[in-house]
Amino acid sequence: MTTTIAPSPVLEASGVTMRFGGLTAVRNVDLTVNSGEIVGLIGPNGAGKTTFFNCLTGLYVPTEGKVSYKGTVLPPKPHLVTQAGIARTFQNIRLFANMTVLENVLVGRHTRTKEGLWSALLRGPGFKKAEAKSRERAMELLEFIGLQHKADHLARNLPYGEQRKLEIARALASEPGLLLLDEPTAGMNPQETRATEELVFAIRDMGIAVLVIEHDMRFIFNLCDRVTVLMQGEKLVEGTSDVVQGDERVIAAYLGEPFEGAPGDEEVAEVEAAAAAAEGADASPEAGDAPAAPADEAPAGTPEAETEDAETASPEADAQGKTRTEGDSQ
Amino acid sequence: MHTLPQQLANGLLLGSMYGLIAIGYTMVYGIVQLINFAHGEIFMTGAFGGLTVYLYVLPDGISMWIALPLMLIGGALVSVLIALGAERFAYRPLRGAPRLAPLITAIGLSLALQQAVFNWYPKAKNDEVFPQIPGGPFHVGSITFGTGDIFLITAAPLCMAALALFVRSSRTGRAMQATAQDPDTAQLMGIDTNRIIMIAFAIGGLFAAVAGIAWGLKYGSIKYEMGFQAGLKAFTAAVLGGIGNIYGAMIGGVVLGLAETMASAYISNVPGMEQLGGSGWANVWAFVLLILVLLFRPQGLVGERVADRA
Amino acid sequence: MTTSTTKTTAPAAEQRGIVPLPAPFARLLVAVGAVATIASTFLAWTWDSEFPGDLTVTGYPAGLQTLALVAGALTLLYALAGYGIRGLGWLNPGGSNNPVLLAAFSAFAVVWYTAIAISYDLGGLANLEPGAVVAAVASLLPVVGALALPHPGRSLRDHIAKPDGIPAAAPLPSWAQRLIISLATALGLVVFTYGIGVNDEESETFIGLLLLVLFGSMALFAAGLFERFTELNARHKGFATTAVFLAAVIFPFTQSEDHNANLGANILIFGTVALGLNIVVGLTGLLDLGYVAFLGVGAYAAALVSGSEFSRFSGVQVPFWAAALIGMGASLVFGVIIGAPTLRLRGDYLAIVTLGFGEIFRITVNNLDGGSGPNLTNGPNGISQIPDLEIFGFNLGAAHDIAGRTIGRFGNYLFLMLLITALIVLVFNRAANSRIGRSWIAIREDETAATAMGINGFRVKLIAFALGASLAGLAGTVFAHVNYSVVPSPFQFAGAAPPNSAFLLAAVVLGGMGTVSGPLLGASLLYLIPEKLSFLKEYELFGFGVALILLMRFRPEGIVANRRSQLEFHETGQLDVPEQGLPDTTVGVTKAEA
Repeated sequence: MTTTIAPSPVLEASGVTMRFGGLTAVRNVDLTVNSGEIVGLIGPNGAGKTTFFNCLTGLYVPTEGKVSYKGTVLPPKPHLVTQAGIARTFQNIRLFANMTVLENVLVGRHTRTKEGLWSALLRGPGFKKAEAKSRERAMELLEFIGLQHKADHLARNLPYGEQRKLEIARALASEPGLLLLDEPTAGMNPQETRATEELVFAIRDMGIAVLVIEHDMRFIFNLCDRVTVLMQGEKLVEGTSDVVQGDERVIAAYLGEPFEGAPGDEEVAEVEAAAAAAEGADASPEAGDAPAAPADEAPAGTPEAETEDAETASPEADAQGKTRTEGDSQ
Repeated sequence: MHTLPQQLANGLLLGSMYGLIAIGYTMVYGIVQLINFAHGEIFMTGAFGGLTVYLYVLPDGISMWIALPLMLIGGALVSVLIALGAERFAYRPLRGAPRLAPLITAIGLSLALQQAVFNWYPKAKNDEVFPQIPGGPFHVGSITFGTGDIFLITAAPLCMAALALFVRSSRTGRAMQATAQDPDTAQLMGIDTNRIIMIAFAIGGLFAAVAGIAWGLKYGSIKYEMGFQAGLKAFTAAVLGGIGNIYGAMIGGVVLGLAETMASAYISNVPGMEQLGGSGWANVWAFVLLILVLLFRPQGLVGERVADRA
Repeated sequence: MTTSTTKTTAPAAEQRGIVPLPAPFARLLVAVGAVATIASTFLAWTWDSEFPGDLTVTGYPAGLQTLALVAGALTLLYALAGYGIRGLGWLNPGGSNNPVLLAAFSAFAVVWYTAIAISYDLGGLANLEPGAVVAAVASLLPVVGALALPHPGRSLRDHIAKPDGIPAAAPLPSWAQRLIISLATALGLVVFTYGIGVNDEESETFIGLLLLVLFGSMALFAAGLFERFTELNARHKGFATTAVFLAAVIFPFTQSEDHNANLGANILIFGTVALGLNIVVGLTGLLDLGYVAFLGVGAYAAALVSGSEFSRFSGVQVPFWAAALIGMGASLVFGVIIGAPTLRLRGDYLAIVTLGFGEIFRITVNNLDGGSGPNLTNGPNGISQIPDLEIFGFNLGAAHDIAGRTIGRFGNYLFLMLLITALIVLVFNRAANSRIGRSWIAIREDETAATAMGINGFRVKLIAFALGASLAGLAGTVFAHVNYSVVPSPFQFAGAAPPNSAFLLAAVVLGGMGTVSGPLLGASLLYLIPEKLSFLKEYELFGFGVALILLMRFRPEGIVANRRSQLEFHETGQLDVPEQGLPDTTVGVTKAEA
């Protein structure tokens, strides 16, 4: 249930351009996210989506353009951006693999706590209270995403889908006003994807605006109030799901076949059938589909993108096979 | 004797030796992001290799004109073998490991090599006298040269030119450039990255051996610990020029050599720093230069070229 | 890369042993062999009393024979435990036969090493008395027998590894658990005292001790006892720490020679410096190769204000607490000066720069002798004749009688270092288990992600660096006084004797990064081994180098494995976090990302 507030811009990016030597990765992109919105950012690999994210979060300093959060222009340093209120997840999961689940979320809280070295050494009552409060909040977040029973597991040992959820919890720990999600459902089966949809809705209900990069069109069009399409660094079109889905240029270059026949339908039906039946369903139909999905997209110019596909395809296939048996044994 | 042109010449010569060693550091770092700490010792073993050929393989009293090429071959053999061995058995197994592991291995290897020579090479505990090419000294204007210098003046540019040609025009050379820029894609394109890495190590070893023999020819003696300081300075030179950039390595080397020589000679003329001249402080100035460069131009004088890796 | 999600709960099927003997016979063989080994230690092993320990006496084991006796007893215990004798079950909770093999091997190693050493030292097998031959045969039997027992497989690993899933111990009352901790600590103290007490000439005995400790520990580990002990410790953390501390306090009282207390004091100094380095390298992942310079800064600062007549400020003499603060402060300042420009750089650069600074430090103090620089540090001769500390009227230089034993100069300094070590351990623990500690580990794990979480990488790294530096400075203050003088030569990257940066790094790496006991253990080993095996002193650095290479290849997590690092360095078969990520942005970026 969304509360009706007069839409105020949480994020305003105007004229953002990112040039690397002779290559222009992002060209003159404007994007606005208002409070209470879920905005989607789609486009083929190599279109500049993650680069754009990096410009928003201070990892890259945009060659041109301005990014402001709630009216204030952001300094180009990632930790200051997070402090201001923008949190993010990463395309290739970047958890602190050898810290526990709880510790990962606690690190997320770093910017909202201030106990420094002296406080840690002296261990006064202030320190203990702050630690307890942090732990409490962290456990709340773990409950929110459903991982509280694994609080002391090493992040490295979590299955792929849970790692993605943990990354989101970690990002939420910094109490952001805007959450940037970079391909949050990569490698997930349709069941998990739907759970993630619910999660993002719940996040929006907490009052946090969301900007999400994704390739799963069903996910995007279910979730987002508005969708922006990026192609070769430029904004192609922006609007509601219907507008974007109907745009001929987008269909031709990106969506390809009509939406009803796209991979996803068969999978959903299969999963639902298998979930009702016994385990031991074959993982191969999914493994066959997973590499097909990235191949459908317009091949990007940079070889980097191709290797990313090649590399993410196999963990996707494996993860889907693995998570499938996990889901079955639940 | 110690005129400005002389100092400049000295600096240039010293710098070109640093540059030759720096090539090895920069090529390896450019491809696998590893500071091969042991490279200084590879330089040292190259020199000892050449010496061994002269002392124990060749008949006594042989003319340097015949001995020198053989010494070069011998030294190069030793250096390259050690470099390849290090790559294959110490570094390659650690390619996926966290960055600290190969770095520590390199330190260990450097220690082990240094001490191995110290402990087991006959008479290595004192300076070993290195044979000289007969002739000279020569004079050009106010500058005095030795025969060792002449060797260096010919060898260094020759090596650089050969390397530049190799990297630009040969297939392997271009494969090296590709691997240096993007190893994963290079592999997808069918380039055997293991082989490329081995070639990088081998070339580094070869150049280090040349530098080692040049050092012996120039200074007349070599010692087991010469690798540590020379190696440190050579890496400084590589960073100075721009890590990963082979031209940067030579340029950085020359700049460093000049800076070191000039500072030692002239800094005592700066008021307030009278006591800070001389060879005792030379190393300090070299490092100060490194710090300054890293502070104000971290990508080096010419610009670095490192693969983008997580 | 697929992983299995269900784990077999039953233990892996056991295979017949390598040696084809029936199992009951094999077990009996082990037991009999162990008894025979024990008996043989009472015989004379050689006629020459020159051999260390004097192994010529019948009826009285000494030196290496004692060690062999202990090894044999251990083997016997494990053999008997295999018979299911009640009361011995606690010895082998894992239930595998690997401890038997390892214990047998320890006895075998000690005995055969002794026999070989005797022959080698005295020039020929003829120097062995029949007793030694009996021992050799006797110690071979248990090994053969143990190899005939069932093991999980045929590979080497199957014969020495600890089985997974050690069952939890039956709960004991608290007092019993604490008693066990105390006993274990006492055992550790005994071993350590024995080790330190080995006469410098008797390096063979020390080697035997090393063999016994190595294989004996492996046996205990394979039995699962280490795991159980760790659990006990975790439950009684405060008590365990106090027990170790007490053991360290007792140690000087056990020594009749002050020299060994000197060793102890130095071990503590280097151990604490290694602990400081552990914060920088182990927790935060910053490779500092010039760390010893901070020790030097602290030492020189303390020396300068110690009142020594060689000090530039010879009129100044400050009380210890002030000297300590000055030492720490000076190192802190240097730490910030070095860290501020370099911590923004790529990690590899930091290594080189710190190495450079280490060298610069040494060269500078060497040159500041009035000739090639203003006379601040008295050049290569350093500042000597540093007077002893006096704390609250207690002169550390003089021997004191406490509890009936004479505690000499080094004993006094040992106590002082103990207090300081305790302080530093406290600092380490408190810092590591806090918000700042987590941020250090996060930076080490993935700096890009850490900054995305709001951690100011540079600031956090600088704090770690500065803290590490000040701790080294504190240790340096005591170092100056313990050694009477401070000279430039030890403060190099690699040198014959500690301290030097290579030694410290090796101690941290060998001991185990990120743990408290790791660096202390590493420092002890690396200090003691060259001391006791003096014939190795020349090859010590070579040994360091080789050890570092081998360690990184086969056991990068070190001896005391931080559970984290063990998982970090070894494939565990779990689905891995993909390595690909954003490019390093500390220096200019040259490519676009999708």
